[in-house]
Amino acid sequence: MVDELPEIFKSQLSEDILFNVKTDLDTQGMLAAQWLAITHGDVTLWQEKAEPIKRIGIEEIKEARAVSNIGSGMLVVETTTNGPIVIARYTSTLSTAMSFAAKLITALAQGEQLPVATKGDIPRYCSTCHSPMKEGTKTCEFCLSKKYAALRMLGYLKPYKFKGILALGLLILSTIVELIPPFLTKIIVDDVLQPQQPGTLFVIIIAAWALTLLVMSSMQALRGYIGVAISSKLMGDIRKDVYQSLMKLSLAYFDRRQTSQFISRVNSDAESMRQFMTDGVIYIAGHLLRFLFILVIIFSMNWKLTLLALVPIPLLVFLSISIWPKVGRRLYQQWRAIFRLNMQVGDTLQGIRVIKAFGQEKSELVRYNNANEEVVHHDMRSEKMWQLFFPAFGLLTSLGAVLIWYLGGYQVLSNELQLGVLLAFVAYLGMLFGPIQWLSQMISWTSRAMTASHRIFEIMDTPADVADHPDAVKVPNIKGDVVLQQVTYGYEKHYPVLKDINLEVKAGEMIGLVGHSGAGKSTFINLLCRFYDVDEGVITIDGVPIRDIEQTELRRQIGVVLQETFLFDGTIAENIAYSKPDATPEDIMRAAKIANAHDFIVRLPDGYDTRVGERGHKLSGGEKQRVAIARAIIHDPKILILDEATASVDTETERQIQEALANLVKGRTTFAIAHRLSTLRNADRLVVLDRGKMVELGTHEELLEKEDGVYRKLVDAQMEMSKIKGVGS
Amino acid sequence: MSAEDIRMLSSEELYVYRGEGGVLQGIVDGKTYHELLIFLTFPMRYTSEYVSIRTKDGNELGIVRSLAGLDRDSAAVLKEEIELRYFLPRVTKIESIKQRSDLWFWELQTHLGSIRIIMRNLHDHIQFPGGDRILLSDLDGRRCDIVNWKQMDAHSQRLLRDIL
Repeated sequence: MVDELPEIFKSQLSEDILFNVKTDLDTQGMLAAQWLAITHGDVTLWQEKAEPIKRIGIEEIKEARAVSNIGSGMLVVETTTNGPIVIARYTSTLSTAMSFAAKLITALAQGEQLPVATKGDIPRYCSTCHSPMKEGTKTCEFCLSKKYAALRMLGYLKPYKFKGILALGLLILSTIVELIPPFLTKIIVDDVLQPQQPGTLFVIIIAAWALTLLVMSSMQALRGYIGVAISSKLMGDIRKDVYQSLMKLSLAYFDRRQTSQFISRVNSDAESMRQFMTDGVIYIAGHLLRFLFILVIIFSMNWKLTLLALVPIPLLVFLSISIWPKVGRRLYQQWRAIFRLNMQVGDTLQGIRVIKAFGQEKSELVRYNNANEEVVHHDMRSEKMWQLFFPAFGLLTSLGAVLIWYLGGYQVLSNELQLGVLLAFVAYLGMLFGPIQWLSQMISWTSRAMTASHRIFEIMDTPADVADHPDAVKVPNIKGDVVLQQVTYGYEKHYPVLKDINLEVKAGEMIGLVGHSGAGKSTFINLLCRFYDVDEGVITIDGVPIRDIEQTELRRQIGVVLQETFLFDGTIAENIAYSKPDATPEDIMRAAKIANAHDFIVRLPDGYDTRVGERGHKLSGGEKQRVAIARAIIHDPKILILDEATASVDTETERQIQEALANLVKGRTTFAIAHRLSTLRNADRLVVLDRGKMVELGTHEELLEKEDGVYRKLVDAQMEMSKIKGVGS
Repeated sequence: MSAEDIRMLSSEELYVYRGEGGVLQGIVDGKTYHELLIFLTFPMRYTSEYVSIRTKDGNELGIVRSLAGLDRDSAAVLKEEIELRYFLPRVTKIESIKQRSDLWFWELQTHLGSIRIIMRNLHDHIQFPGGDRILLSDLDGRRCDIVNWKQMDAHSQRLLRDIL
């Protein structure tokens, strides 16, 4: 659904509309709709009335820009006579559309080729939920497949349908068998325990009773056994799916979230779902069956008493329905409280060094206690509700039994009813209302599972921002030519951190990225690796846009040595062979040798089998880095990305790292975020970034010659620093 | 450390006004700027103090300690510009909070008019910055401010209490 320009406005335009958009703020910043239309001749803005409130001829305009504010933005045109003019204001929902409008107006004003609106530039809304729809999707990601959480959850049972059917069959059988004993009671009381009856019938009945019990127990055991088998596997399936979804998600998803929350989420939510699907489903089915069977039996025994027994049921149903939404919300509140607590623990443990270093254990404890109290509060709130709810259910159902005893007893006394029938009736009634009390347990389980499934499906349904194109190609043997054309990107779309970058890099060339922190260097390499997709422009490798290359394939061609060297829990050998698990010991050693890591590794007591990572041997910063370099060497990428460590290492280690890096970059297109002058000199060309823009490009020497250049200043500052260091030491 | 210090602007050094085109303009230190940008340095804590005045390119010219310290015209224009730049409608009433197909729909009345915001869940989209304040953010990053939920009308409070 795209908002069309209303006819009343359209009729005022003499030319074709190039672009139109419905804004959501007026020029005073109030929430209101205005209409903006761009034609070859002018830019027009209307509000409610037919008369436009603004109209500016394109010939008066020098350029236009979309200025992003916080949560909102404004479209500003620079006019030749009146200076800057705010054309329209809008909330951030329309940022992309307005950026396009600005580009279009600028192109019109400057007589350039007009940009073509991509699907992402035009806001489209879902017709049911009105949420904006993603580029290239036909269905609304928010509405899709979420309505049927329960059905979807049960879908997990599919692989186990045969076992499930078996369990269900057993369930039906054992339910029927369970119904036999009360019937036997009736026979014993009414027919067998009579003076004129022979003892043999009595013995037979008792034996039958014992047999029923035996059959019932064995069927229950068998069913339980199948249940456990299904449930454990089910739990594994859910966990696997969630983890798979997590791995599939783009980096941007994790940037915005604390990762420690996922551990508890995956485990406890999966457990709630499992409980519902195995225990829950069996109980619901079992008790429902039993309920129906009993109803039939007692109805045929005495329909009047049966109707009486059913008196509390409407009330029970009403109670359940009215309490249902509340239960869900309380459980979600409880879940959120626990979620916050978990997040805090994760946070604290990750930052434990900082906490200790600043002596803030006490204040952390206070923070924890506050969150903890909140959990206690919510626990109590939702549990209290159950404590009220269960007895209320019990009371209502017992009232039914009292009524039966009262009226049935009367009928027995007045010989209208046999004692055995009454006894059996009461026994059946107990079984009938048993399940109804279970209904309350069911509500609890089901709501818990629903809460959990919403959270789990939320992870699974989060679309990967960086998804593989359906026609993505493989690029088995690339040369390594990299081109960036008018690349713009912002982690928040309306706040670009890289603006209009144009760069052509030949295969084998080494590019140094230079700039102050926050200039956009890391973003630059993140885009090259396609951890994020560019907002505008295109990046190509050997002429193929990286959006069209399979991600696994792309990453196979790109090697990364990051500033923060992360070694996985495992041996050094495993870490080096991370991207090539079939590497031979020779391969590993060769890579380590080139990375200048071989000697120090061999000197370790466990050599290449030394465990590193979380629980293993502590390597120094320089050692870790060389292992990481070896990891990149064995990966043998055509394109290499280096994010040089800023950590100071001693001169000898530095020399070794430099040597290792020099070995690594040979014959590869290399992008290095460089801090050291030595690296800068080695680079073929340097790209100087400043506030997201590429301000200088050239060799070290060329850039040094620019008296007032950004690079020159950076180098001077670094020289100054080393002088200070020299004096200090 | 940089030798430059934070530059505080006094009322004599700063005069701002709204240009004909609706853009914030002004004179800082005797120099005229056809476009000025403002940034709240503590947007949550101080909405009329510590305002950074910057050029169109984002270079800081100085910081206004408090709007109260400026001449009345400048203060009024700055206040207006802050409201425009920081889109943070203050919620006056909550009409409804509904959960549909796993999305939360909030119909709100704010001091800027009525707005509908959509959240995917509550735990990522609701913040409690302290006291009885609640910040709601939607899928597009728009935010709405409930300054004090305990001072809202009974209907809104009941809706909030139901979910918070």
